[in-house]
Amino acid sequence: MAVCIAVIAKENYPLYIRSVPTQNKLKFHYTVHTSLDVVEEKVSTVGKSLGDQRELYLGLLYPTEDYKVYGYVTNSKVKFVIVVDSSNTSLRDNEIRSMFRKLHNSFTDVMCNPFHNPGDPIQSKAFDGIVSGMMVQTG
Amino acid sequence: MAQCVQFVEEFVQDSFVPMVAVLCSEEAERATRKNNLNFTELLRPFCRLTSEGHIRDPNNQLQVVKNLRICVNNVMTNPNTASAALSPAQRRLLNEVVLSCQPQEGAVTNVITAGDYNLNFNATTPWFKAYRENFLQTMPASDHEFLNHYLACLLVVSSTEAVPVEQFLKLSQEQHRIQHSGEYTNPKWFIPNTLKYYVLLHDMSEGDEQRADVLYEDMKQRYGAQGCYLLKINSRASSTAEDEQIPDPWSQYLHRNNLQNQHYIVCVVTCNGVSKSYIASRTQLYVYGVSNSLESHPLQLDEGSDPESTAGGAGSHGVCLTLNDHDHIRQFIQEFTFRGLLPHIEKNIRQLNDQLVSRKGLSRSLFTATKKWFGGGKGPEKSVHEPKSTCGLLYPPEAPELQIRKMADLCFLVQHYELAYSCYHTAKKDFLSDQAMLYAAGALEMAAVSAFLHAGAARSYPAHYMDTAIQTYRDVCKNMVLAERCTLLSAEILKSQGKYSEAATLLIKMTSEDSDLRSALLLEQAAHCFINMRNPMVRKFAFHMILAGHRFSKAGQRRHALRCYCQAMQVYKERGWALAEDHINFTIGRQSFTLRQPENAVLAFKQILTNDSRQMATQQAAFLREYLYVYKSVMGEKEASLPMLPLPCIHSSATRVYFGHERRLAEGEKQAATHVSLDQDYDQDLAAMWCHLEEQLVASANRGTVPVNFQQTQCCLNSQTDNLRHPLAVVEEPMIVELTFRNPLKVSLALSNLSLLWRFTPDAASPSKEKMPEEFMGETITNEETLALGVGQQTANLMVVRGKQDLMIQGPRLNQTKEDKMLVRHGPDRRLDPIITPNMPLMEVFFLHFPTALLCGEIRKAYVEFCNVSSVALSGLRVASTHPDFFTFGSQATTPVTPLSPTSAKNCSAYKTLATVNQPGSVAFEVLVSAEDFSQLSTVVEIPIEGNVLEPGESTQLPLWLRGPDQEGVHEINFLFYYESVEKGTKISHRVLRHTVFICASRSLSVQASASRSSVPPHHCQDDKGCSGTLVVIDVENINTSESGVREFHIVQVSSSSQHWQLHKCINPARDKDCKLTSRERAKLCFRAKRCKPHQVTSGGMEKYTFADLNLGHERIVSSSTPCGDFFFHCCRTTESQRADVESSRTSSSSKSQDPSEDKASDLNNIVKKCNELDLNIIVIWKAFVVEDNKQLILEGQLHVALQTIGKEATSLTPKEEAQEMVLLKFKSEQPPPVVVPSAELSQLIKTNLHYPETYTHPFVQNSLCLVPVTLTLSNCSPAHVDIIVDLRHKSTSPESLEVHNSFNWVGQTQYKLQLRPEEVLCLTLQACFIQAGVYNLNTPRVFAKPAEQGTMCETSQQTSSPALIIINNA
Repeated sequence: MAVCIAVIAKENYPLYIRSVPTQNKLKFHYTVHTSLDVVEEKVSTVGKSLGDQRELYLGLLYPTEDYKVYGYVTNSKVKFVIVVDSSNTSLRDNEIRSMFRKLHNSFTDVMCNPFHNPGDPIQSKAFDGIVSGMMVQTG
Repeated sequence: MAQCVQFVEEFVQDSFVPMVAVLCSEEAERATRKNNLNFTELLRPFCRLTSEGHIRDPNNQLQVVKNLRICVNNVMTNPNTASAALSPAQRRLLNEVVLSCQPQEGAVTNVITAGDYNLNFNATTPWFKAYRENFLQTMPASDHEFLNHYLACLLVVSSTEAVPVEQFLKLSQEQHRIQHSGEYTNPKWFIPNTLKYYVLLHDMSEGDEQRADVLYEDMKQRYGAQGCYLLKINSRASSTAEDEQIPDPWSQYLHRNNLQNQHYIVCVVTCNGVSKSYIASRTQLYVYGVSNSLESHPLQLDEGSDPESTAGGAGSHGVCLTLNDHDHIRQFIQEFTFRGLLPHIEKNIRQLNDQLVSRKGLSRSLFTATKKWFGGGKGPEKSVHEPKSTCGLLYPPEAPELQIRKMADLCFLVQHYELAYSCYHTAKKDFLSDQAMLYAAGALEMAAVSAFLHAGAARSYPAHYMDTAIQTYRDVCKNMVLAERCTLLSAEILKSQGKYSEAATLLIKMTSEDSDLRSALLLEQAAHCFINMRNPMVRKFAFHMILAGHRFSKAGQRRHALRCYCQAMQVYKERGWALAEDHINFTIGRQSFTLRQPENAVLAFKQILTNDSRQMATQQAAFLREYLYVYKSVMGEKEASLPMLPLPCIHSSATRVYFGHERRLAEGEKQAATHVSLDQDYDQDLAAMWCHLEEQLVASANRGTVPVNFQQTQCCLNSQTDNLRHPLAVVEEPMIVELTFRNPLKVSLALSNLSLLWRFTPDAASPSKEKMPEEFMGETITNEETLALGVGQQTANLMVVRGKQDLMIQGPRLNQTKEDKMLVRHGPDRRLDPIITPNMPLMEVFFLHFPTALLCGEIRKAYVEFCNVSSVALSGLRVASTHPDFFTFGSQATTPVTPLSPTSAKNCSAYKTLATVNQPGSVAFEVLVSAEDFSQLSTVVEIPIEGNVLEPGESTQLPLWLRGPDQEGVHEINFLFYYESVEKGTKISHRVLRHTVFICASRSLSVQASASRSSVPPHHCQDDKGCSGTLVVIDVENINTSESGVREFHIVQVSSSSQHWQLHKCINPARDKDCKLTSRERAKLCFRAKRCKPHQVTSGGMEKYTFADLNLGHERIVSSSTPCGDFFFHCCRTTESQRADVESSRTSSSSKSQDPSEDKASDLNNIVKKCNELDLNIIVIWKAFVVEDNKQLILEGQLHVALQTIGKEATSLTPKEEAQEMVLLKFKSEQPPPVVVPSAELSQLIKTNLHYPETYTHPFVQNSLCLVPVTLTLSNCSPAHVDIIVDLRHKSTSPESLEVHNSFNWVGQTQYKLQLRPEEVLCLTLQACFIQAGVYNLNTPRVFAKPAEQGTMCETSQQTSSPALIIINNA
């Protein structure tokens, strides 16, 4: 399904990046980092027009030759980025949306952990499990 | 790049300029060569026209031609045809152009702030400009467009030629041959009848000017005035080299030219006889160019100073040209353009237009229809050309479709953009309908460009034309060169319109695998586009920079690659993107190293290693290896200074600095003072305690006040100590620095041969310090430590590097003021900047026979040795302790003469003893001692050494008595020794030495004592004065529970010490028996106490204490002498202070408001209290027999009990501290409890005694009434007048008393009212009357007493409870 899932802090440093082990990790880091520009652009344009309720899902950020990058921004400006293989055409927008929602829920659980220090890299087995589920599951 | 917006028009315009070919005779070439230039080079700086030209369009409208530039080139018969890709030679040329154009050091950089990013990068990209310019110039001419086809040809002949006209003819034929013979596909010519312009070059320094003029006239005749020109140059002889003022306009063109020349050489110019000579000259230039491009310096800089190169003809350009000559050349160009070129173009446009108009009669559709019907003419051509063309058909040069295009190009070149656009537009339609894709794309491209350049047109720039053109070029025609040109133009135009993201997309689309250099440059430009957007896309910028850097490095442009990576680094740096950051750093490191910038490489590699890496261990190992390799090579280059090592990390704030020698802990049986060592952890409470002790010491040394500048002596500095001041270190004393290393890698590191580097700055101001560096040198402070962090097994590939690390300690973060809180500020930390002071005394303290375990109250004698190990005398020795009652040095006045040496004193008692003759019942020995004789009150004790000065090297031993603490358990006892230099005014005012001991105290005896008034009538004891006879009962219990072998305790002596009272006599145990107590046994001792002789009290003042010793054995211990007396006073003090504490806390807790009416009550209380006061301190001295290692030891000790009041029990064991009771919080104020004078206490005012015969025999037979005289003694115990009422009539109502004395009566006066003076004793004689024999209780009189001054009658019965029985016998 997804080839890379990343959680980026409000200050734009990575809280969590996981990518499929078969491919170059570095490449995904670069991709995710670069996508932040688009996220920022989208947030700044969307945020102004809609006063109260912002759609958290940003949709397709940009397509590259090999990947499609999707973005999602929580109300506290934590960004989720999911990178999907371009060849995977079966994936619908709705499915991506639900993946983000699941990711967000799991992230909220992590934040609710009283022993987690917000701003630290995420080290949670439950979160790991959710992410692996999204990455492994195909179709 | 961003700056060139206003020049976009110019740039686009300059991309397409009229091309002029040059054919030059050998002679003419020779003339120009004097200036180190060939003819085209000579003209090049003047090719831009400054004045406006005019041209008439086909409609006879005047068109202004502004700022026209023409391009003059030698005729190159290049065998290469236009190809879809650049030739290798061209590539090499472009590569070199880019390589040679590097950003200058310290060039102006842009700072862009985007969000929280501050980016610093080159605003201009000259390498890209150079590349673009060269790329456009070296574009091969292609068939589908005519823009870079030659429009005219300059034929240049020198006036020195014998027959110049012949030469002209020759050149003209040559040109014709090149154009029309079909031998050469290159160069291409615009129009079949190319404009030939005849130039007669006249060398002023050589030829005859008149002849030239004549020749020119002849030429005018022959070619017409419009078609020829006489150019006079070289007005100055080259030998007169004073040409400094002459500007050199060639320099900016020539560097590039050299590179181009190189290219020409490589291209193997096939020259006919005319241009043969230049091969030689060009080769020379080539060499010259190479040498320069290697040095990558601006050309002119070192040429003048290099005589060799000047001799070789490579000197500065235009040496023979004056400014006049420059003007001549400029004029020539202008003349040529306006008179020759423009009219020629105008004529051609007209012709083409006429042709087109004449054809217009045929409708377009018809035209195409006929083409379809009679397509035979075109058909075969198509079939001929189609196989080799991927982009549709190729037109023959004369095809009518191309005529439109040709006209469009001509119009474009003379800046008639409107016409050009419409022509291009028409051409485009034609080409498209013919499916001639290459032509169509060309027309589209130019249509877009002319639409852009046509200022003031309502038409907006058709970007989609460009996109289509690019796509067609790239995908259909596979012609990357043209696609690239189109992209460059389009991107530039889009940028000028602010459409950066579109421009970036275009640029990125053009990156491909076929050319790394192009991809790199375009990616870099795209990155610049991203950063120039309205909302700068910093991360995209960085990412594309990295991509560009990657392509640069692939293209062999290392320097550019490095620059790209460095710029991208700014975005990734320290933002948590560790993986990316590491990658960039690694690349930067590698590139820097290959570029021979090993310092930068080391720096970059260091970053990878220093940051907390998230890489795998293997990756880290690779990084480390690379780093070490680079590092080694850096080290190899310069030996002098050690570079910094990034590893291991020094945890700098954990650095500890220790001043002084490492202490020996023990030396033989001597035990050294513990002092401070690095093994101890810092403890805030302990530090505060030591500081407090030191403050007390300093205060005592400075007569009670602590100096303002007092600073605690700190021997060991760490992160928690106060490091604001420079620490003071003493010369010739070592300093130890403890560092904490951390290895952030998953790879192990081996450290060896660590040494501490230091720098000493002598204070030149004071001469006494000048010697110090040398002294200091002797003691190189090295802290060698080898930390093997799991060294790898194989030592073969162990790489060893040497380096240093700076040790900088950042102080703690300040958080005092508002500014501090808002910013992150750090205070100074001067741990590592000690000030070296001159010699100071250094003392060592040793203890001998110092016990670790004691019984409670045990007295032990130990010895302490003070050693001055420095070369300076010390004085002012003092000690402060947390437990000042634990030890004493004795007091001088009372110190017994004991052997000073510890060895001989081993088995001696700690006490001073006297043998006594055993006298049963004898009274106590009394000694009167003043408290001042004993040691001081404070916790600070001055140590009595002889002369108060300890000379260098001297040592002295003093006895020290210790007394086990009264409470069992482990006690930590801290000593702080203080000493100072004999010299005053040293930087260090004093020094201290710490010592900590742990004493384990185990239980010994518990002593409980109580006092009661003796009921013995005073006159019975003759020697007792007044009524003050008091009984003291002492309960002694052996509570030692330990199995350690305390067999028994002997009570050896009981002594008393008080200001008012003393023990007088032993009652219970006979004097000769000492009291033995084995485990858990208990004994009761009883003594009589009396008041001291009053005159003694008064004469000695208040502070005199009477010591009375009652020894139970044969030896009397002089309790008033040193150990015993000292400890007694210590003990007194502590209990007093404790009591004071309790009292103060009580008074503070009780209600503060005291009613005046209550004063009286308190008065009363006072009186009563006074009367009961008994200020007697009991000292119980014991001996314990202990078996240890089959040896019997005798331990001695003493316990103190302070009896305060009569009737109250006191104990030697300090009561367990009761936990503070929780008090209920009350919201209503409590009613003050009614003041009731406690009857029990009042009853003590008066002591009553009944004196009567115990048995009385009376013959009741004879006399039925038996009268017995009874004396009632009333003694006033209080120091006040007391009113007394004695009432005899009272009948007891209690039933049991009724039983006992059935009936007896007092006769005579039955009520007395008396007043007793203080301490008065009064006897009343009473008479009791009995009527029958029996046992009676006489104790029925009720005595009421009240203090005389007391207004309120609060009389209380003074009845004593004990019965006074009398037996009446019947005789």
